[in-house]
Amino acid sequence: MNKLLSSITLSFIVTGGLIAGEITGVVKYIGKPPKAKRLRMDADPVCAASHQEAAKAETFIVDAKGNLANVIVYLKGVKYSGNTPTQPVELDQAGCVYSPHVMGVMAGQPVKILNSDATMHNIHGLPKINREFNFGMPKTLKEKTITFDKSEDVFVVKCDVHPWMKSFTQVFDHPYFAVTGTDGKFSIPNVPDGTYEAIAWQERFGSKRTLSQQVTVKGGSATLNFNFERPKKK
Amino acid sequence: MSDNHTKETFFTKYIWSIDHKVIGIQYGITALLWLLVGFGLMMVMRYQLAYPDTQIPFIGWIFGEDKLLLPEKYNSLGAMHGTIMIFLGVVPLAFGAFGNYLVPLQIGAIDMAFPRLNAASYWTYFLGSIIMVVGFFVPGGAANSGWTSYPPLADVATAGQTVWLLGMVMLITSSLLGSVNIMVTVIQLRAEGMTWFRLPIFVWTQFITAFLLLLAFPPLEAAGILQLMDRLAGTSFFLPTGLVVSGEVLTNAGGGSPLLWQHLFWFLAHPEVYVLILPAFGIISEIIANNTRKPLSGYKSLVYAMTFLGFMSFVVWAHHMYLTGMGTTMGAFFQTTTMIISIPSVVILTALLLSLWGGSIRFNTPMLFALAFLPMFGIGGLTGLPLGLAAADIHLHDTYYVIGHFHYVVAPGTLFALFAGVYFWFPKVTGKSLNESLGKLHFYFSFIFMNGVFMPMFIQGLAGVSRRLADGGQAYAHAADVIYLNEIMSWSAWLLGMAQLFFIANVVLTLFKARTGEINPWNATTIDWTETTSPPLGHGNFEKIPVVYRGPYEYSVPGSKIDFTPQTEKG
Repeated sequence: MNKLLSSITLSFIVTGGLIAGEITGVVKYIGKPPKAKRLRMDADPVCAASHQEAAKAETFIVDAKGNLANVIVYLKGVKYSGNTPTQPVELDQAGCVYSPHVMGVMAGQPVKILNSDATMHNIHGLPKINREFNFGMPKTLKEKTITFDKSEDVFVVKCDVHPWMKSFTQVFDHPYFAVTGTDGKFSIPNVPDGTYEAIAWQERFGSKRTLSQQVTVKGGSATLNFNFERPKKK
Repeated sequence: MSDNHTKETFFTKYIWSIDHKVIGIQYGITALLWLLVGFGLMMVMRYQLAYPDTQIPFIGWIFGEDKLLLPEKYNSLGAMHGTIMIFLGVVPLAFGAFGNYLVPLQIGAIDMAFPRLNAASYWTYFLGSIIMVVGFFVPGGAANSGWTSYPPLADVATAGQTVWLLGMVMLITSSLLGSVNIMVTVIQLRAEGMTWFRLPIFVWTQFITAFLLLLAFPPLEAAGILQLMDRLAGTSFFLPTGLVVSGEVLTNAGGGSPLLWQHLFWFLAHPEVYVLILPAFGIISEIIANNTRKPLSGYKSLVYAMTFLGFMSFVVWAHHMYLTGMGTTMGAFFQTTTMIISIPSVVILTALLLSLWGGSIRFNTPMLFALAFLPMFGIGGLTGLPLGLAAADIHLHDTYYVIGHFHYVVAPGTLFALFAGVYFWFPKVTGKSLNESLGKLHFYFSFIFMNGVFMPMFIQGLAGVSRRLADGGQAYAHAADVIYLNEIMSWSAWLLGMAQLFFIANVVLTLFKARTGEINPWNATTIDWTETTSPPLGHGNFEKIPVVYRGPYEYSVPGSKIDFTPQTEKG
């Protein structure tokens, strides 16, 4: 109870006097999930040796209960005048896969790119609004920090050395976004009271088949669930 | 004959000059400085190859706070090393500097046919060279698509590529202006009695080179402009339909052909090889004749072989493209022409080797460089033969073998000839002779380390190590057995750099010395030595226009009291 009280107080301060709350929920997938493809890393022995069991593509991670991971859930068209976090978001290259596979970051917030592998990676981001970037990270270059200046819909960050390596980033001009974990759950804290349009994006469904619904935050919390469904055959 | 009717200021005499000698010196100084820059880039690249992904010592800060030469920067350095060495260094030195300075003097002309065009040629080159390096300062860095600038990569590369193309258009324009000038000068301004077969071989080589430049460069100039259009105006000359870049289909019109670029590029770039080597042959011929104290063996064979070489150089270009999937008929044609073109090269090399036979050889510095040129160019030429045959080229293409091959032609080949030329004509240009001891140290160390750099490349190449790998092959299992050679090559390269300090010190120290007053220190026969002072008079060259009575290499003429008979001596 004390924790709840303190988080309400904190949210109140952060949002400059407005009452703020937390949006929580679960994203599920309805239907039989596709089988995850095995990633063939034989081209680079360092990559292949870093996995005891063959690594699998993270395009669609869904558990037995249908909980869907790596979904970006965010509020659309929100005005935010607070500070941009200075704490960097980390994007690691470990075992020749990106971790996290999907991430959100605020414009101006540092993104620390790590190379935990003993091989060379190439970070090639393909934003359309922000400046495209493309640089190498040899095994001796362990971290490099970049920032994105403007908000932008989700775009690919990939490695040109290892073609299976692909990740997704979305840049926001507000902090009201989250990415679902392997349990499909997400939480967007400190959302001021109000009614918003919430969007859910999943890699396989792409930007044209995002889900959207209205959510109203009032008095501290709101629940928001999304269900992605396998498209019916026409 | 000196031209005194216009008042010369320091600016018009040394900067905005129209005197071929000053322009030649301008070309020479600029090109030598660019050679140093191009070599500097290579020394940095060699650090990355020997010690991949470790911080570059001393100058690492240039490459960012992590002090690493990242692969994309390695690519830039590689592309710019090739571009700078060839287009800003060797060609301007061989053709712009030596050609400008010596051709009018050797044929007895008071200047080039078009002195103002000559100045325009130099300044266009100068501007082009500056534009070229501006690329280092644009976002994404300098051009990084190789010195060959192959599309589609070059069409979608970073902004540095646009700068590269602009620079290249300027450099080609400069070469065209220069080539027209040399051709007209040789045809129109030869002194009385200077018949075609009394021309020094050096003049012949410059004359043929001028034709190559004039005929080979325009296709690349056109191609360069087309590539600029692709990059800036949204055209698709070299972009095919449905091209996927970074996982997305490009939205250009399509319908273009990347292969078209390769044809246009190599239509220039193969004759370009002979643009690099012909002036070298010319310089070596002069020095060998002078230092063996006997006529060149097979003067006419040399002229015919060089002319034939010039013609043939236009029909071998696609031997650079066997891997593009050309048909066997085309492959057979280009293999045949490539084998044929090796014949005049062998004729030339044989004539020069035979010229040594029975000579009273003077082993001075220019002669040492000239003598080293022969086997070095021989290695370069002979290792090219397997590359001219598709069956072998498919295995060797884009490996270090190719790098070794063309560097033997250009570095210990052409560059040694150019050094020989600098040592030989330095007394002509300055009136002061370079120090022989420093010169010999420069030669011996350069000779050893040059081979230390390039010989191991053949071994790596035969083992299948690819060129253009930023880590020197470290990531490839098949390179494991030969990767130790990277360190040997790199240390050789740095020591080769150190060896050049002898040359730089020699030039600087000699420039501070007083003039010797000696006009013809080598006892040469050609009129650049015998009919002008050293250095020659200002604009106008000769007190009196010389008349030529004999061939250029009348050394040790039986019955003559001295062992050289100048071309201007009646008899």
